[in-house]
Amino acid sequence: MTESVRPKILIITTNHSSYPGANAVGQARLAYDSNTYILRVPDPVMFPEEFYLNAFEKGIGGIIIMSSGSDCPYEGAYPRLSARIQNVYNKMKAKNMDINRLKLTTICTVCTESFLKEVANMEQVVSK
Amino acid sequence: MKNDNLKIAVYICHCGGNISDVIDVKRVSQELATYPNVVIGKEYAFMCSSTGQDMVIEDIVKSGINRVVIAACSPALHEATFRGALKRAGINQYLYEHVNIREQASWVHKKDKEGATLKAIALVKAAVEKMARQDELNTIKVPTTQRVAIIGGGIAGMRAAISSAAAGLDVVLIEKQSHLGGKLKRSSAIYPTNETAASVVETLEGLIELNAKIKVFCNAKISSISGFAGNFQINFEFDEAKTEKVEAGVIIIATGFDHYKPYEGEYAYGLSNRVVTLPVFIDIMGTSAEKKLIYDGKTINRIVFVHCVGSRQIDGIDNAQDNGKVNDYCSRVCCSSALFTINKLKDKYPDVDVMDIYSDMRSYGMEHETYYENASKKDILFLRRPLEERPTITPLPDGTFSVKTVDVLTWNEELELIADMIVLVTGMIPNEITDLLEYMKIPRSSDGFIQEVHPKLRPVESANKGIYIAGTALGPMDIIETLQASNTASSKAVALLSQPEIHMDPFVAVVEEDKCSGCGLCPQECSYEGALCMRETDVNGNVKMVASVNQALCVGCGACVAVCPTRAINVAGWTLDQFDAMVEAIAKG
Repeated sequence: MTESVRPKILIITTNHSSYPGANAVGQARLAYDSNTYILRVPDPVMFPEEFYLNAFEKGIGGIIIMSSGSDCPYEGAYPRLSARIQNVYNKMKAKNMDINRLKLTTICTVCTESFLKEVANMEQVVSK
Repeated sequence: MKNDNLKIAVYICHCGGNISDVIDVKRVSQELATYPNVVIGKEYAFMCSSTGQDMVIEDIVKSGINRVVIAACSPALHEATFRGALKRAGINQYLYEHVNIREQASWVHKKDKEGATLKAIALVKAAVEKMARQDELNTIKVPTTQRVAIIGGGIAGMRAAISSAAAGLDVVLIEKQSHLGGKLKRSSAIYPTNETAASVVETLEGLIELNAKIKVFCNAKISSISGFAGNFQINFEFDEAKTEKVEAGVIIIATGFDHYKPYEGEYAYGLSNRVVTLPVFIDIMGTSAEKKLIYDGKTINRIVFVHCVGSRQIDGIDNAQDNGKVNDYCSRVCCSSALFTINKLKDKYPDVDVMDIYSDMRSYGMEHETYYENASKKDILFLRRPLEERPTITPLPDGTFSVKTVDVLTWNEELELIADMIVLVTGMIPNEITDLLEYMKIPRSSDGFIQEVHPKLRPVESANKGIYIAGTALGPMDIIETLQASNTASSKAVALLSQPEIHMDPFVAVVEEDKCSGCGLCPQECSYEGALCMRETDVNGNVKMVASVNQALCVGCGACVAVCPTRAINVAGWTLDQFDAMVEAIAKG
C-alpha cells in the first residue's frame, strides 16, 4: 500500500544517534513502510509542545521521537524533552486525541530491530 | 527570512541504480522542477562524481542559483562534498540541503516503488521549503590558546601529554595525587608485554621530565573551569597553599576509574582477610615469597576466583550502588586480567590448585584467548555459572571456605569447593569527579562514566567542543585501549589547535533581537553556564532586555528554542519555521 492512502508517520531523529540508526536499517536492507518521513534534528528538545499538535493538525498521523535517551550528549536535554512530551500528552488528552500517536523512544546507531519495532507499532496505531 | 529572489536547484541522484532502480528519479525531478522557487530540476547518475559536482557549480554560476537541494545517499557521506561544491561556485556553503533517499528510502522500500517515489517527492519538497527559509551562515571563528590542559596524570594523561607535546603544543598536566602514574604505579606485570607496570610509568615519567613543553602540577585540586573551545580557564590549588590559573585551548579529561569495592558480606568479603579483590591479589603476587604462597599466616593451596563481582549486576538480585542503580555493564577487562594473573600464579606456584567460577569468559583482546588456553593446560578448573546464580561462599571454622556453585558445564550440577583463599574479580567503576563534570557541564553515560558524543562516529569527544576524554574515564578498557583513546584525544586536540583560530559549525542559537520580548525564559532552559544570558540593548531607539548567546559556549542543542514565546531564538540552520514548513510539505505530499 502506498503513502497516498495511508496516514503519514513523522520520525524525528537525532544527528548523533537515531539518524545514523535509521541509516543502519537501510544499510542492512531491512524493510519498513514508505509512509514514514525522517526528520533530522540536533536534539528534539528544541521543539515546543505546539509543534507536535500542529503537525497532527496538518495531517500527520503519528510521530515517533527517536531520542538519544539517557545517553544524550547534551546536558539536561533528555529530562527536559521527557517533561515536554508529558505536557503534550496532557494536551492531547484534553483534545480527546489518542496519545499513542506520539511516541518518545530511544534509538541508538545500531538499534535496527528497535527502529523497525517502533515503526511497526506506530503503523498499527495510525492504521486504526 | 524573506528572500524575493529565490532560485533553487534540485538534483536527484541515481546512485548508479541504487536509488533509480526503486525510485522514479525522472518523475521526482520533473515534479520538483515546477515547485515554487525551484528553477532547475535534474537527475543524474552520480551526483557525487566530479561531473555531477561540476554540473551544480555550472548551474550556480550560469543560472544564478542561490539555493541547492540534492537528493542522494546519506548526508554522512556527501553533505560535506556538496557544501564544498557550493563554496567553489562562490556561494555560501550552508545554502544547501541534503536529502537522504537511499538509506532511508530506496534501500528500505524496494518492494514499494510507487510509495518510495512519492516519499522522495515529499522529502525533496520539504527540503526545498527548508532552503526557502535558509539564511547564509558563517563558521564561527574563535582565537585559540595553543595549550592543552590534561586533568589526570595516570597513564592516559601521561600518554596524552607526551603525544600533544610531540606535536608542538604546550601541555599542563594536573594530577590530584602526589605522583604521576595513577593506578598503574605498582610492581606487578601487565599484559600483553609482561613488562612491570612500574617500569612503564617510569619510562613515561622520564619522557615527561625531559620535555620542556610539559608542565606538571601534583597535589592539585581544581576549583573552577570556565571558558570555551580555544579559551578555557582552569583554576586550581596545588602543593597545599599555592594557586594557579591555566589558560588552555583544549581540555583532556583523563581522570581514570576506581575499583569496585564489594560490600561486607558480598561473597564473604570483609569476613576474612583471605577474601580479596583481584587488584589486591595482584599486589600480593607481586611481593609474595617464592615456592610457597603464604598469606595471612596461612599456606595457600587452593584458590577460587569469582568473576563479575560488581559487574553485570542484575536489578532485583544485586544491591544498588550509590547512584541508585546496579552496575549492569560488563567491565570488559576483568576476564583477561584474571586469566593473566592465574597464569602468573601457576607459573610461580605450580602446586596451587585454582578454580575459576565465571559466567561468560570475555577475553576479547588480541591473543587474550591464549591466556584461557594456557590456563586450561595448567589444569585450572573452570566452572561456568548462570549469570543470575550467585556462588555462596561461607568461611569455615578451620580457616578454609566452602564455595557452592551451579556449574552449567556439568549440566547445572551443584558443586561444593573448599578453598584457602577467595579472589573476587572486581570490575571498574566511575571515579568520583562530580565537581569536575559540573564545572564543565559534561554528562555521564547511563553507566556513570563520562559520556562521549558517539563511540564510533565521534569517539573521545564530549558534547562540549574542545573537551576530550582519554582512557578509563570513558569506561572500562585495558592499557592498550587506554593508550589508543589517549592518542585519539591528543590527535583531536592537535587538530583543533593546529590553526590560530578554531572554525566552528554555525549551528548554535541565534537571537532575533527585534522579536525578543525579554521574558528571560530561555536562559533558564540552558544547561551551559555563560552560553545564554539576558542583556540590555538598544533596539531601534528602545532600550530593552534581550537574550544574548555566547556562540563559543552554545552547543546547539536547542533547549532554549522550545520555550521562546515569540520564536526569537532558534538554532541557526534548524529553525522552527523551517521545521514547520517541512512538516507541512510532508503532510501535503
